[in-house]
Amino acid sequence: MDEIVKDLVEICPVDELEPGQSRIVDINNRSIGVFNISGNFFALANLCPHAGGPLCKGQVTGTSVADKPYAVSWQRAGEIVRCPWHSWEFDIATGKTLTDPTRSVRTFKTVVKNGHLYIETGASR
Amino acid sequence: MTIDACVHPLCAHKDDLRRYMGEPWRSRSFPGPDRYFYPVPTGEYVGAEGEAAGNKVAADPAKLSREIFGQEDVDKAILVPLTRGMLPDLDQSMAICRATNDWLADQWLGRGEGGKFLGTIRVDPREPEQAIAEIKRWASHPDIVQIAVPLQAQRPYGNRDYLPVWQAAAEHGLPVLIQSDGGSSIDYWPSPVGYYKLFLEYAALYPINFSYHLVSLIAEGVFDRLKNFKVIFGDGGADLLAPLIWRVDKDWRPTRSETPWNSQMPSHYVRKHVRFLSSRFEGPRDDSDWATWLAVSEISNLTLFASKFPMWQYDAPSSAFKSLGNKERRAIMETNTSEFYQLA
Repeated sequence: MDEIVKDLVEICPVDELEPGQSRIVDINNRSIGVFNISGNFFALANLCPHAGGPLCKGQVTGTSVADKPYAVSWQRAGEIVRCPWHSWEFDIATGKTLTDPTRSVRTFKTVVKNGHLYIETGASR
Repeated sequence: MTIDACVHPLCAHKDDLRRYMGEPWRSRSFPGPDRYFYPVPTGEYVGAEGEAAGNKVAADPAKLSREIFGQEDVDKAILVPLTRGMLPDLDQSMAICRATNDWLADQWLGRGEGGKFLGTIRVDPREPEQAIAEIKRWASHPDIVQIAVPLQAQRPYGNRDYLPVWQAAAEHGLPVLIQSDGGSSIDYWPSPVGYYKLFLEYAALYPINFSYHLVSLIAEGVFDRLKNFKVIFGDGGADLLAPLIWRVDKDWRPTRSETPWNSQMPSHYVRKHVRFLSSRFEGPRDDSDWATWLAVSEISNLTLFASKFPMWQYDAPSSAFKSLGNKERRAIMETNTSEFYQLA
């Protein structure tokens, strides 16, 4: 298809998805997770690229980071989702795994207009 | 040109080492170099009886030169001396290491004929302070190219107790050979399920212990800390690497938050920091499968030819890896080794 069709699909009024919350929506038989992280909205395919697990039903969490061995700190709280099947960690904002940036889950652009949250289902970003 | 990455020089007489010791160690008893823990049933050394016996040849620089450099086009050999006995006394163990290193430098280095002997110093990594002092003592010697430690260990080598020793090795640009040393310092249950009875079991199973050290070094972040740290496993294991490292990569993804200092997939560290000596290679049943075997296992660039003369596992360079193409064979017989050790 030469022309990318950007279908805007309404999810909900923005005040129904508060910071830290997420929901799963079905659009055209496609399951999509929508997340509010500190007032910014993100949408990911609810399909883990590893083994097809329901990624967006996983725990929204942070991750441990270490600049050198044993110096562990907890960072990015609320910005990471862990697949409930095999615990792969994904950056909700980019859809990329933390363990191998070559693997990522499809993301969808979110749009806020007139107090309502939409996602573009025709194009990935 | 071919490089033999492991040849074991031996003392002509058990007590020769005492000349390189001060008291109280010179007069203290310690075992000879022969194995007594799981002794080799067919004899420990290759070669005929009498003066042609492998242990006689390997005790004389001129004879060993003829044996090693007279074959194919071998022009460099890395000498790896072995140590003595199971000695829980760390101070005595390090005294034996120091004497062995002095003996090697005095009796062997600079004495190759028709080729060059390169040297390995021994340390007991259970004693970091003395081990580091010994590394510093030899670091500037032009013919010393590596440090050897036993495969036998009280804890896997990624444990932080050992880190200062690896740091000293990395700082001085000396790779560390981890190799079973039948007479080395101390031994433990040879398998996680206890003592087996026969040498066959020991020979076939003991080398698998490399895997504990390898995964420990990766998981505990030693390669993340020490960018120049290099390890060679001396008892084979390359053939076992593919399934092992696949599993480690696989299980690292979900458990990554436990080891966040690992900035790369575990297999990355193997390619950058780890090599395997070719002695005790397993390999395919059919020689025509060698090239495929190496490619699928991703070990073409990780394997270093080693004859391990004069031990019973001896592998002659003239018959090693003959079914490979010239380029692939040359990598294993020479360039993998010269690049990893940065030999001129």
